[in-house]
Amino acid sequence: MNVQIQAEKSANAGMDVAEEFVIETRNVDVFYGDNHAIKGVSLNIPKHQVTALIGPSGCGKSTYLRCLNRMNDTIEGCRVEGEILLDGLDIYASGVDEVLLRARVGMVFQKPNPFPKSIYDNVAYGPRIHGLAANKDELDDIVLTSLERAGLLKEVQDRLHSMGTGLSGGQQQRLCIARALAVRPEIILMDEPCSALDPIATAKVEELIDELKENYTIIIVTHSMQQAARVSQKTAFFHLGDVVESGPTEKVFTSPEDERTQGYITGRFG
Amino acid sequence: MTEQTQDTAGSNWNSEKFTKGLAKRKRAEVRFRRIGLLAILTALTLLAILLFSIFSKGYTAFVQTYVTLDITFSEEVIDRNGTRDPEELRLANYAKLVQNALRAKFPEVTSRRDLRALFSLVSNDAADTLRDMVADDPDLIGRTVPVSLLAGDDVDMVTKGYIDRAAVEDDRRVKDRELAWLDILEADGDISLRFNRGFFTNGDSREPEKAGIAGAMVGSLYTLVITMLIAFPIGVMTAIYLEEFAPRNRFNDLIEVNINNLAAVPSIVFGLLGLAIFLNVAHLPRSAPLVGGLTLALMTLPTIIIAARAAIRAVPDSIRHAALGLGASKQQAAFHHILPLSMPGILTGTIIGLSQALGETAPLLMIGMVAFIADIPGSINDPATVMPVQIFLWADSPERAFVEKTSGAIMVLLGFLILMNALAIFLRRKFERRW
Ligand SMILES: Nc1ncnc2c1ncn2[C@@H]1O[C@H](COP(=O)(O)OP(=O)(O)OP(=O)(O)O)[C@@H](O)[C@H]1O
Ligand SMILES: [Mg+2]
Repeated sequence: MNVQIQAEKSANAGMDVAEEFVIETRNVDVFYGDNHAIKGVSLNIPKHQVTALIGPSGCGKSTYLRCLNRMNDTIEGCRVEGEILLDGLDIYASGVDEVLLRARVGMVFQKPNPFPKSIYDNVAYGPRIHGLAANKDELDDIVLTSLERAGLLKEVQDRLHSMGTGLSGGQQQRLCIARALAVRPEIILMDEPCSALDPIATAKVEELIDELKENYTIIIVTHSMQQAARVSQKTAFFHLGDVVESGPTEKVFTSPEDERTQGYITGRFG
Repeated sequence: MTEQTQDTAGSNWNSEKFTKGLAKRKRAEVRFRRIGLLAILTALTLLAILLFSIFSKGYTAFVQTYVTLDITFSEEVIDRNGTRDPEELRLANYAKLVQNALRAKFPEVTSRRDLRALFSLVSNDAADTLRDMVADDPDLIGRTVPVSLLAGDDVDMVTKGYIDRAAVEDDRRVKDRELAWLDILEADGDISLRFNRGFFTNGDSREPEKAGIAGAMVGSLYTLVITMLIAFPIGVMTAIYLEEFAPRNRFNDLIEVNINNLAAVPSIVFGLLGLAIFLNVAHLPRSAPLVGGLTLALMTLPTIIIAARAAIRAVPDSIRHAALGLGASKQQAAFHHILPLSMPGILTGTIIGLSQALGETAPLLMIGMVAFIADIPGSINDPATVMPVQIFLWADSPERAFVEKTSGAIMVLLGFLILMNALAIFLRRKFERRW
């Protein structure tokens, strides 16, 4: 019953029906052992747009994000129920290769986590394991293009073979974005990608996200209302494992329907 | 509520109660530091005493007494037919040459018993030395040359000062007349101490002056290589499986507990296991490094597994997530990232496990690696002994000269252990990464 109400609620959330969705989630429940972390969330992700997930700490944003590339599979005791469709196909159906799925749905983590290898090897790792490059030249090309797209190439051009871990925090995060781009995913999940960055690096990453949305679908978790407002076209507000409200960013921020959303974005609770 | 907060915030840090508490805390800290210092000093002192006693007894094992005699390579003794036939030269009686030289040096000695005592001043190794010299250079025949020959173990003990000349003659292994001969040789400058190469190149021997640790070193080497080849891959694979792949369930918890228990099982039990499996069931050769290595591998496995698991667990999850998030399979993440990153820790653990194995005696006694073996083993199937067992055997020998051999062998063993641990530290330093 609860599930039904939830489904109706998000159906009523005022989305444009003509929009094309790459990801559709229906009645997703996630449990960590007995902890019911996501409670019947239904949410659709529009193609080639930036969707922001906001909400107070512990409300399940990261958990939801990890459902979309099945990273939850790696967590002991985590159980996902419900339907998650990528291009209309259930990603949790048996026979779906999660390895391939993660190539299509890339992820950038909250803390920059470059491999302790060279900058080049960091970016080249994905293409290598997926066999995306036929030869060295092609691989070089992928690496350089990815670094370029991530806005890092200029800074690291002449030290491609020095350690990726030797970069600054902001550079490391852009390296991680380049690494994700190199696999040529369709969707990029970003879990608080700027939380470890200073305002300048943050601005660079935001600029980058804005450019990337031309070709990629991006889902970003953020704690910064300004950031959500700046970069996203759609916003979903999570509260205690529920999506309380979702819709065009402008609408959510200017005239929220739910008073909890109102409270959160005006900073009255969180 | 607010009032209370203000109350604590306004605590008087200068009050007597605080000052007293502070002084007490400082005293406790000083006391603790002193106790710690004392503990370390005690440990260091004991270590120093141990090392001192080993070194002071053992350093003489690295030198050996030589007696220089004028040897006449007389043709009538070693090549009666004058053919210079190598085969004949090889079989000739070279001991006679030594005896003649000693007789010439001490013409006054005539009685049979005295002669036997006189001849035992020089080791029976001397004949071999002369044979080799003639084989190298047959032109020596017919000439008289001064040659340094290995002294008997009694002479060696006297020169090294281990025999108390003041003791009553009957209680003394070396009698007065031998001491008199020695004094004459000494006065003529015919006694010398030289580096004892044989200690590192000979196998074991019943004659202390000829006994060396080469056999035991080679035996240890073979045994350790077998141990490493078996225990390292199995241990690392097990650790990776348990850490990265095994689901958390009862069965795997049980395995984990048992591996930890195995690490604490007394080593002799592993010896019995080796005896039962490798000798009685598999019928592998007794006393061989192959069986020793397999047995020690059983013993070392838990150590390697535990160290490898700790090293693997120390790799931050963010690396795993990074790899998996890019679409790497679990196996790719494990072998491309986690294993290389944990390798320094794994190697350190392996080397520590191996140095334990290098020092192990008890399990090897059970599989018969305790026999007297004079030959240096040529393969992993030859009967062999290992260094700690050799130490045990020598410590058990009655001859006075084996005491220093025992300490000498201990020093060599300690040297190897220190080397291995230094290697472990080096590897850790070299490959340690920070992220
Ligand atoms: N690995 C885990 N194991 C068990 N419980 C978890 C795990 N990760 C998250 N949870 C629980 O799931 C709930 C949602 O957590 P989640 O990390 O998704 O929140 P979040 O919205 O990302 O919060 P934050 O903004 O602080 O990152 C929390 O109650 C948390 O305790
Ligand atoms: Mg989170």
